[in-house]
Amino acid sequence: MDEPPKEPVKYIDAEVRLPYHYVAGDYRARYLRALKDKKILGSKCSRTGKVFVMPVVASPESFAPCDELVEISHRGTVTTFCVVNIPVIGRTLEIPYVAASVALDGADISIFALVQECKAEDVRMGMRVEAVWKPDGERHGDHEDIQYFRPTGEPDAPLDSFIHRL
Amino acid sequence: MSALRNVAIVGFAQLPVVGRDAHRMSTEMLYPVVREALKQVGVERDAIDYQVSASADYMDGRPFGFVAALDVMGSWPPRQDLHLEMDGSFATYYAWLRMQTGEVDTAIVCGHGKTSEGEPERVLNLQLDPYYQAPLGLTPTATAALQASAYQARTGATDADFAAVAARNRTAGARNPDNQVREAATADGLRHTSWAVEPLRRGYLPPVGESATCLVLAAAGRAETLCDKPVWIHGVDHRTEMQSIGARDLSRSPGAALAAQKAYAMAGLGSARDVDLVELLATNPAQELIVCEALGLDGHASKPVINPSGGALCGDPVMSTGLIRLGEVFRQLSGRAADRAVPGARRAIAHAAQGHCLQQNIVWVLGSERRWT
Repeated sequence: MDEPPKEPVKYIDAEVRLPYHYVAGDYRARYLRALKDKKILGSKCSRTGKVFVMPVVASPESFAPCDELVEISHRGTVTTFCVVNIPVIGRTLEIPYVAASVALDGADISIFALVQECKAEDVRMGMRVEAVWKPDGERHGDHEDIQYFRPTGEPDAPLDSFIHRL
Repeated sequence: MSALRNVAIVGFAQLPVVGRDAHRMSTEMLYPVVREALKQVGVERDAIDYQVSASADYMDGRPFGFVAALDVMGSWPPRQDLHLEMDGSFATYYAWLRMQTGEVDTAIVCGHGKTSEGEPERVLNLQLDPYYQAPLGLTPTATAALQASAYQARTGATDADFAAVAARNRTAGARNPDNQVREAATADGLRHTSWAVEPLRRGYLPPVGESATCLVLAAAGRAETLCDKPVWIHGVDHRTEMQSIGARDLSRSPGAALAAQKAYAMAGLGSARDVDLVELLATNPAQELIVCEALGLDGHASKPVINPSGGALCGDPVMSTGLIRLGEVFRQLSGRAADRAVPGARRAIAHAAQGHCLQQNIVWVLGSERRWT
């Protein structure tokens, strides 16, 4: 046996490795597969008609099944946003950049998206944007298939049209 | 003791236990189960006052997965809600306690988790103390084997005794369509399976399983309107032992014994022999023998029947396994147990345990009549 340590032990390394093998889920698998074909799918509440993207199995609001998958627009409205000025490890984006919530036309809830091809200070609530997809053959059915959203140049959407879809 | 509020189980739904549901995520598995449970009691979600979910995000590796579950348990308008990082049987205790306050009359308790997405043997290692025991790489199977060895050393139990317990569960389990393992097995056959960790053989342990479960509770006054045969809670108690497995006599379960003593007292139950059946959560035969001893059960007697469902050896969806024991007692005492019904069953015990070497135990006594008048 080794001699006991002369200095008290102050810490130990206890590394934890937990591998996981996820199931995407029935609805999400269909959603991701559709991205490959440049389609965005949502699920429609059978009671209220509200459309959720990404699709969910049940409406958190009405508790009714959302069993109809519907295609929704690539265009939408910036509902709220944040200008990022701090570099994030592992992200190659040039700062400042804009992380926004975008309510796609036909959806009742917004998605999280990057807004590019404009100055950060020009982004505003109500700004109309559209998806910029990766080229054909380079989409893999994941969230990177939409590279970012860019302004469409349309007039801004009025607050009333998205206030309930933040 | 003074009278408590009569609370009953009025509904229970579960997905059959499977090794891996390759298509559905946890919420997609749970939603139809909640709907089925509500359908059984004939109400919509807004009739339920309170909800508790039981899951562990470490099991399926999705941070805040328990929050996603709220979407499929009904969350609008906002309701009182609790999440427990323990089996649904313990979660049921919280719902029962809340009902004792008189603030709520109805509750649902859900267990869920994609056990197959991670490696439970690695994940459950993290329940051990982080300095001395977890870094050794001890898995729940390894600590269970230590416990089985300790039990053998104290009692002289043999491999044949373990095989007999496993075979009894497997024989009963063949009649339960919700079980993952439904092939009956003989003691001799199981004794010839290879060691998982000596003295536990592969045939004595459940495979990795997953499911989703939902139990509906209601207080007296409501319970009778929701169910033709409510199954009433007569007594309950739960106890936690020390985390360090080196600080405990692993050959016994004083926690289960104390919980049983307190639960029986609340229920006015003189002896475990006075019930008709017992559903235990023991994930290997040594644990079952230790729990039987703690609960005052003689495993060789014809009454009460132990694990008519097949028990955890035939399906162990972590976080739901204990809730299924309560669900099975509900099925037995309300005439819903089909082929596995224990004839004339009127009183039963449902036990659940969690943690390494039976660290936490809960004991329920239930009956087809109200406990307090």
